Amino acid sequence: MASSILSRMFRRKAKPKVEQLRDVETIKRRRLNAVIGIAVGLATLPLVALYLLLALSSFADRIVTGPDIIEAEYSTTNWKLLFQGKLEPAAGRLYDLRELIMIIVNTFIVALGVTVAVVLISVMAGYAFSRMKFRGRVGLMEFIILLHAFPGVALIIAVYAIYVWSLGAVPKDVLTEYRFLYTILARASLEIPMSIWLMKGFFDRIPWEVEWSAMVDGASRIRVWRQIVLPQIKPGIAAISIFAFLAGWEDLIYVHVFLYTGGIKTLATFLEEVIGNIETTYLPIAAAAGTLYLIPTIVFFVLTQKLLLEAMSGGVKA
Amino acid sequence: MVEVRLERVSKRFGRVVAVNNVNLQFPDGKFSALLGPSGSGKSTILYLIAGIYKPTLGKILFGDRDVTELPPKDRNVGLVFQNYALYPHMTVYDNIAFPLRLKKIDENAINDKVNNVSKLLRIQDLLERYPHQLSGGQQQRVALARALVKEPEVLLLDEPLSNLDALLRLTIRAEIKRLQQKLEITAIHVTHDQAEAMSMADYIAVIDRGSVQQVGSPWEVYNKPRNLFVATFMGSPPSNVLPGRIVRENGIWIDVGGSMVKPPERMVELLRESELDDVIVAFRPEHASIVKEPEEGYISIPAEVFVTEPLGRESIVTAMVGGSSVKVLMPPEAEFKPGESVYIQIQPDKLMLFDPITELNIEVARPGKS
Amino acid sequence: MRIPKPNPIWFFLSPALFLIIVFYVVPLFFSIYISFTPLQNWNLARYLDQISLENYERLFYMAMNDPDVTKVVKTTIVFVTITLIFNVLGGLILALSMFFMDESLSLPYRLIWILPRMTPIAVYSLIWYYFFLGDESGTLNSLLLRLGVIEKPLAWGNSPELLPESAWAIIILVNGLVGVSFGMVVFYSALRSLPREHVIAARVEGASAFQMTRYVLVPQLKWHIIYVTVWQLLSLITTYAHIFLLVQWGAIDKWWGSPWALYVFNTAFTTSDQGFAAAAAVILVVIGGILGILVLRLMGFKKLMQEPKGEL
Repeated sequence: MASSILSRMFRRKAKPKVEQLRDVETIKRRRLNAVIGIAVGLATLPLVALYLLLALSSFADRIVTGPDIIEAEYSTTNWKLLFQGKLEPAAGRLYDLRELIMIIVNTFIVALGVTVAVVLISVMAGYAFSRMKFRGRVGLMEFIILLHAFPGVALIIAVYAIYVWSLGAVPKDVLTEYRFLYTILARASLEIPMSIWLMKGFFDRIPWEVEWSAMVDGASRIRVWRQIVLPQIKPGIAAISIFAFLAGWEDLIYVHVFLYTGGIKTLATFLEEVIGNIETTYLPIAAAAGTLYLIPTIVFFVLTQKLLLEAMSGGVKA
Repeated sequence: MVEVRLERVSKRFGRVVAVNNVNLQFPDGKFSALLGPSGSGKSTILYLIAGIYKPTLGKILFGDRDVTELPPKDRNVGLVFQNYALYPHMTVYDNIAFPLRLKKIDENAINDKVNNVSKLLRIQDLLERYPHQLSGGQQQRVALARALVKEPEVLLLDEPLSNLDALLRLTIRAEIKRLQQKLEITAIHVTHDQAEAMSMADYIAVIDRGSVQQVGSPWEVYNKPRNLFVATFMGSPPSNVLPGRIVRENGIWIDVGGSMVKPPERMVELLRESELDDVIVAFRPEHASIVKEPEEGYISIPAEVFVTEPLGRESIVTAMVGGSSVKVLMPPEAEFKPGESVYIQIQPDKLMLFDPITELNIEVARPGKS
Repeated sequence: MRIPKPNPIWFFLSPALFLIIVFYVVPLFFSIYISFTPLQNWNLARYLDQISLENYERLFYMAMNDPDVTKVVKTTIVFVTITLIFNVLGGLILALSMFFMDESLSLPYRLIWILPRMTPIAVYSLIWYYFFLGDESGTLNSLLLRLGVIEKPLAWGNSPELLPESAWAIIILVNGLVGVSFGMVVFYSALRSLPREHVIAARVEGASAFQMTRYVLVPQLKWHIIYVTVWQLLSLITTYAHIFLLVQWGAIDKWWGSPWALYVFNTAFTTSDQGFAAAAAVILVVIGGILGILVLRLMGFKKLMQEPKGEL
């Protein structure tokens, strides 16, 4: 089943039919193409260079800046030191391998937690908004879209105050779990409005007749949703999952506010701390840590390029 | 105005051959139609003439001028798209003026030309409106006006009527035809609707699978189809097709669904010369009738009535011959019961025979006379 | 003969409603409430019953008179204005360039331009940290030293002789590169969804790329441009994540590098003066609310909500 989702997600667009209108061929646009291509290329180059320099620095004995690419010496030392936890003098203290792995695991917990929460909640609510009549449906959807535009981060003071207040009531032995749960739900709630809206769009595309026939046969609403409708929106779920994962993975502010203050580190706050102790930091190891943190993003990015571009523009219709 | 010629033109998109070695001639000042099913390559041919596509092989000539490499604006063609492609943010006036403004023509001259062409198309009162405020037929006229405003030598129409409702289509058909005759412009019209092509065009080129199947007047294409495709594509309902076996005993006979049929005199010699074992027998629904007893002077084939569909002005009777079904147009008062044994009686002069391998009409496409 | 069943709508909606209430509705009112209290150090038990307008008075006074807060106000205005122009125009130029390019060529470009948005914020900050690093190992210093433009390394984000313009330039660049992709993607997909015949018809008439842009493409993007502008304005006023670490790490000046939103965050979580920070945040909430409603109108919301067919 997983493979079929993947193949559907990653399937290349079908070749255009012959009858579909193509661009004018008799006008020579090679020059225009070249001029624009080179201009955009020149504008894009520095951006690419900065990412490449980061990756290169993670293997070098210094932070490479461009002209010194040849002078620097390359080895895997930085990566070895990183994984041995020998960040001294980088982080002002020693990490051991276990701690480093925990940091990576924590980052995954947050990212996957956000993914699960966002997908589950938006699939359910998206279905209700697409298929069910209830009083205040339009008003509520409008409110949710408003929340999407609304700056959720502006509320973080109150969200944190509620967190502080609630911590007192949480038993000590599940405190860590509670911290993760709150972080995940708080971060997920930023993504929820947009995800519900996108999910509603995916549900809108499924023909009603399928559902009607199942209900005529006597299936309950919830059963229809689970067995008939959900399998048809797998590509939509995949798109939302990727977005939610990347959102959870890249996050800095929420893990800083809700986890770091409780002594739980993720890759983001780990980097924050390493560079924060700048006097003692050996920057190339930080470059290795940064590259490590970047890898899952790049992998997702390359695998789902078109989906990503489509979903990014999917929120807007004119 | 100008004659348009395609000389051995082929167009490939990647591995797909959209147009295959086409020779065509569109006479000066006449209305020609490119007729074919969707995906046949007829639109591609139009876009090749417009200069949107460049042929992979071959030459395109406007009169003596080789335009193969020229971009559209240097060909002096007017093009009307299927969806009209009117700019939604411009008024009708600005839409029509747009081609002239790109040429940096003086505004007064533009004004005159726009007014002239809108008078011609009877849209003077719509100039201040936006496309979304117009009906389909009005949009169609604006699109025509935009194509005609720069006084092109060739007018290219890509299924311009397919977005209109059936009644409006009839009106606009007549309108376009009137306009073309008045301007004496070379017009090329792409359509999949054979009735449209028949009613509008002076010449029809039937296209299928990227190749020209037949070129001729509407009468020729309808009555003398060069091959089986043309025979079955034209007409509604299309020609009936029955497989036959040639029996060379006591002269020449054709075995159609188990009964022996004597071919008309004019075909006997042709069949004798050919060494065909099988042949495809075809005839149009209006060239046959259904009778209970066979009459002299007709070709009769025993059949069994399957169903009668009354259409008011006439009835279509479907009958079975062997395993094949045959449709015949009958007067509305004709009454047959399903399962009734009857004879299909074909006018001998209207019978068509096709070579089952080459699918060519054995009369029209005799070797050396194609 | 109907058997009453639990309403399935609640099954489907309650998780979403729960999150929205806990993380939007309650915090919204709570923020406003906190802004009237002198809350400090998250000591809810001690401060929450002292209601006064003091925070707002103080906020107003400081915005006018406190040298640091006036820096923040100026920074916010400059940052939001210039980054907004950069984002909308840059997005439009990128989208048009991509549109005139072959699709196979534009795909990698488009991907690269949305990379900053997708990059973990800490890594993105790290990249710019290296770039503007104040000693000779910083990329910019190292390049300029080699080219002979400067003689000794400069602390780009906080050396007094370069402030405030240098700090502004850095935060505008860092955020601009993240924001520009939004306009690019929206405009590009809008351009691609214009009927192909519009472009071809214009080419058939001999329109150049410039004429096509001027007369055919940009006029049809009018609503998208307004939409992107409002949306970007909203996010520029309220986001701070991409600058947060650069200030934290000392790469840019604490005041000249802080727009209002970051100032709010640092006041609450670093200075630990939450009552005052909440008052500053309420301003953001109000602006966010107004612009949000505007965005909603621009999206033509009502048209997008079709009624479900029949009741099941």
